[in-house]
Amino acid sequence: MAMTAKTGPQGSAPGSRPEARRPVPPRDEARQARRNFWGKVDVKLSPYLYISPFFILFAIVGLFPLAYTAFASMHDWNLIGGQGDFVGLGNFVDVVQQPRFMTALRNTFSIFLLSSVPQVIFAIVIAFVLDANLRARTFWRMGVLLPYVVAPVAVALIFSRAFADQSGMINSLLGSLGIDPVRWHADPLASHLAIATMVNFRWTGYNALIFLAAMQAIPGDLYEAAVLDGANRARQFFSVTVPMLRPTIIFVVITSTIGGLQIFDEPRMFDQLGQGGSDRQWMTVTMYLYELGWGSQKSFGKAAAVAWILFLVIVIIGMINFAITQRIASAGSATHATKKKVAR
Amino acid sequence: MSTSIAMTRQRAGAGAARAASRHRGIGASRRPGWVTYLALGIVTIAAAYPIYYAILLASSDAKTIAQHPVPSLIPGPNLLENLHRVVTSDIGFWHAVVNSLIVAVITSVSVVFFATLAGYAFSRLRFRGRRGLLVFIVATMAVPTQLGVVPLFIVMAKLDWTGKLIAVIVPAMVTAFGVFWMTQYLDSALPYELIEAARVDGCTMIQTFWNIALPAARPAASMLALFTFVGSWTSFFWPFIVLGSTNPTLPVALQLLQASYFKDFALIMAGVVAATLPLIALFAVVGRQLVAGIMQGAVKG
Amino acid sequence: MRTIRKPWLMLTVGMASIATLAAGCSSSSTPAASGSASTSASAAAEDVTLTITTFNEFGYDDLYAKYEAANPGVKIEATKAATSNEARDKMMTGLAAGSGLTDVEAIEVDWLPELMQYPDKLVDLTNDDVKGRWLDWKAAQATTPDGKLIAYGTDIGPEGVCYRSDLFAAAGLPTDRAEVAKLLTGDWDTYFKVGKDFMSKSKVPWFDSAGGIYQGMVNQMPAAYENADGTAKPLADNTEVKDAYTALMTASVTDNLSAHLGQWSDDWTNAFQNDGFATMLCPGWMLGVIEGNAAGVTGWDIADVFPGGGGNWGGSFLTVPTQSTHPEEARKFAAWLTAPEQQIAAFKAKGTFPSQVDALKSQDLLGQTNAFFNNAPTGQILATRAAAVTVSPFKGANYFAINTTVTDAIARVDVDKTDDAAASWDKAVSDFTNLGLK
Repeated sequence: MAMTAKTGPQGSAPGSRPEARRPVPPRDEARQARRNFWGKVDVKLSPYLYISPFFILFAIVGLFPLAYTAFASMHDWNLIGGQGDFVGLGNFVDVVQQPRFMTALRNTFSIFLLSSVPQVIFAIVIAFVLDANLRARTFWRMGVLLPYVVAPVAVALIFSRAFADQSGMINSLLGSLGIDPVRWHADPLASHLAIATMVNFRWTGYNALIFLAAMQAIPGDLYEAAVLDGANRARQFFSVTVPMLRPTIIFVVITSTIGGLQIFDEPRMFDQLGQGGSDRQWMTVTMYLYELGWGSQKSFGKAAAVAWILFLVIVIIGMINFAITQRIASAGSATHATKKKVAR
Repeated sequence: MSTSIAMTRQRAGAGAARAASRHRGIGASRRPGWVTYLALGIVTIAAAYPIYYAILLASSDAKTIAQHPVPSLIPGPNLLENLHRVVTSDIGFWHAVVNSLIVAVITSVSVVFFATLAGYAFSRLRFRGRRGLLVFIVATMAVPTQLGVVPLFIVMAKLDWTGKLIAVIVPAMVTAFGVFWMTQYLDSALPYELIEAARVDGCTMIQTFWNIALPAARPAASMLALFTFVGSWTSFFWPFIVLGSTNPTLPVALQLLQASYFKDFALIMAGVVAATLPLIALFAVVGRQLVAGIMQGAVKG
Repeated sequence: MRTIRKPWLMLTVGMASIATLAAGCSSSSTPAASGSASTSASAAAEDVTLTITTFNEFGYDDLYAKYEAANPGVKIEATKAATSNEARDKMMTGLAAGSGLTDVEAIEVDWLPELMQYPDKLVDLTNDDVKGRWLDWKAAQATTPDGKLIAYGTDIGPEGVCYRSDLFAAAGLPTDRAEVAKLLTGDWDTYFKVGKDFMSKSKVPWFDSAGGIYQGMVNQMPAAYENADGTAKPLADNTEVKDAYTALMTASVTDNLSAHLGQWSDDWTNAFQNDGFATMLCPGWMLGVIEGNAAGVTGWDIADVFPGGGGNWGGSFLTVPTQSTHPEEARKFAAWLTAPEQQIAAFKAKGTFPSQVDALKSQDLLGQTNAFFNNAPTGQILATRAAAVTVSPFKGANYFAINTTVTDAIARVDVDKTDDAAASWDKAVSDFTNLGLK
């Protein structure tokens, strides 16, 4: 990336120097010492102070639930009856052997791939288009984000009418094109597609705006240099925009991995029963977890075990995605190197 | 050639306040053609139709809706009447609006402030355990929330917070999502030079944050505020469990419109519209604010 | 690893402080019902605030003020959930947490069996002042094996058969509701046989959903899935259920009597507008649903008959969790709400059909007619249907888990058409095995 290297020293690229250094202007000695001391304290403690609100809150509302479910996952634990015998990893072994669990895992991945992948790609393209010098820019931006303000419940109400097998809008449209009706609630892949559509509807514009915000923070010099290098718009996109968006792409990929693998509301509201279909065609892992814990069996212990397995799955997939993203987007070598240095 | 003109203009007017908008000038060299507008038009229609659909149903009545699974494109005459029914029904609409506003405003302000603070620390300050702590924060998002309801409810009951707004506000005061978002944004949007310059000028850490990081974070912060506001405004399950209908937020109250065995879709959709319109209005304001924020520059000196 | 010591220290401290909270929580046997405790503590000794949660429409809104007027010093705070499922989520959370429930909680018969497993979480409401108040089968639903009455019945859903008289006429069947009742009197085979007659002269499916019909069939079995001691009957050997399943699948698919709709789905809702089906089993509360969904459609009527005798679908109860800090006052309040006079008032307000013997004789009830159903004397008909219910099906801890395996099997064949009847049954049997019940 010749132009990145060229523009770096001009000053706008994030961090051509690795870190902020403490300035010590030469002054009166005693004062300076005092300043030094408090300055040091300031420098040492401030970061912890700044991040402490999260951890304090986490200690109040997050830690106990975590410990509670970890404890419950090792026990024969009824939601209402409470703690039973210690079973160690028994719950984990049990649920992993359930065919339903495997079905749920398959469905979750399928819906995740059908939603997150196109979503991220479309979002980044839409953002790039919105970043151009459009007429009525604000209008288009707001139009794209519009679905996000609709509550998920309302989205489900609207889309379940559209995807009804016999009387839905989509099948009647397909019918008028001479295409056979799709069995949205019977065929696993079709149901996943329908659910992914619901998800993509609400979240694509949202992700596009996230990308847009990050794109607008990209210093113009980089584009100038690219233009001078004779890069066309597509070239600018891949050699300036994408590398510079790296932190944001990582953010979007990680958060949509987490959100996508925890998907619950949309599949649950996809039909009137909310259990994922008569053959569990679209039952996701979180729905399975809910059925175990809150369904008729009330096995909170097993539900907790599923939650922890899902947690591990998310962490693993998240790390894989992180690695992939890192590789794709790390073309901006200058920023990359900087980041590594600071991170240490 | 328009490119050079545009660039000259930028260079000439390259005041700090416009620094970030500079690359827009490049775009000016290529005003997008009609294909772009057509594509955007399609995307926008796809985005707006479901909302329009909700308005169509809300302006109709139960009988018409039952008879026409695909509604006509022209709104019916009953929108105001149905909205009036929502507002005056016994679900406590205004009480719920006030509650939702309180919760959404407090959590938005709080999330933005604390998340920016933490995001600044994670992206631009050096301290021990930085990376590990950030990974930990991100990892907390990976814990399925369904499971946390029971233990969290136990905590709230112990604190005697059930039924009170504080039970909805406090758990949302700073989110892992927000911290992660601000970290990633500032990672690319806040140059080290600015921080260094401020430190050389003798700013303390918090002054640096206040004078440098906060302004640079503005676009991302206003988006985070919007996300938090929308998230809070539409969240149903936890407020429902911990508050109940005596002191509800808007979604909890509006859900009561579905209490009868026969679902009056006109009324339910009027509820959806009543909840969504304020957001769209807010969004119109913040949307402009977003653009303004960008004009003033993420890399403001 | 100095870098991570600090946060762990912080976390450990946090954990310790939270653990104290947790410890207090699991050991405390009388947790405060926050809603009532906070307000009553400051008030005078005799003043008491009673909290109550209901869902859907119980028709109690005007009754609370009446109770407050009749009982000085009592204040009622009412919470409402929209649907039974939401109320259930909330109740389960409160029970699991050991606090946070209201003094009186409404529960639906569908999840009553789940609560029957934890009788110590609910106050025993047995009392002389309510003896003989309810229909026997209604009281039996809320009575534990050792004779504790854990909930007071509110309403019931006695079932008749709703039908489209215009479609009957077109197919040459009688249309008068008394004649239809005579025609359909008999067992399920009679109902299916008339359906075949009907469909030989009509293109309209006979009934809406195999799932809806199965609900009627299984509720007539005294012990469908479990033995009296609560152990599950192996589904593979359960001939009673298998026979009902086979008969129903033959009628639905082979004879094609079903409209192949899942009840409450959007397709089902829309079918009311398109002559989707000619009959459906309908409890009292379904009348309003039909009227709403079928707005503008003429010809609906209701016959005083039910295949295989009587049937009940749905109905609710009021219960008092042991968490309540005023169990006795709460019991009195629940008893008052479920007294015949109040249930008649609720019936007049929202049409909830009363479960009390005396209320079923009320002229207010018996005189009710329904214009949408061709002015049928619905009060009279449903009261007769309530009296015709003889079986109180035993539903133990695993009833709904097993029932779901069967209803899923039915939906696969009837609605989704992903499996044939035999293959789907095999899946149900393996689902049953996977439940791991003893």
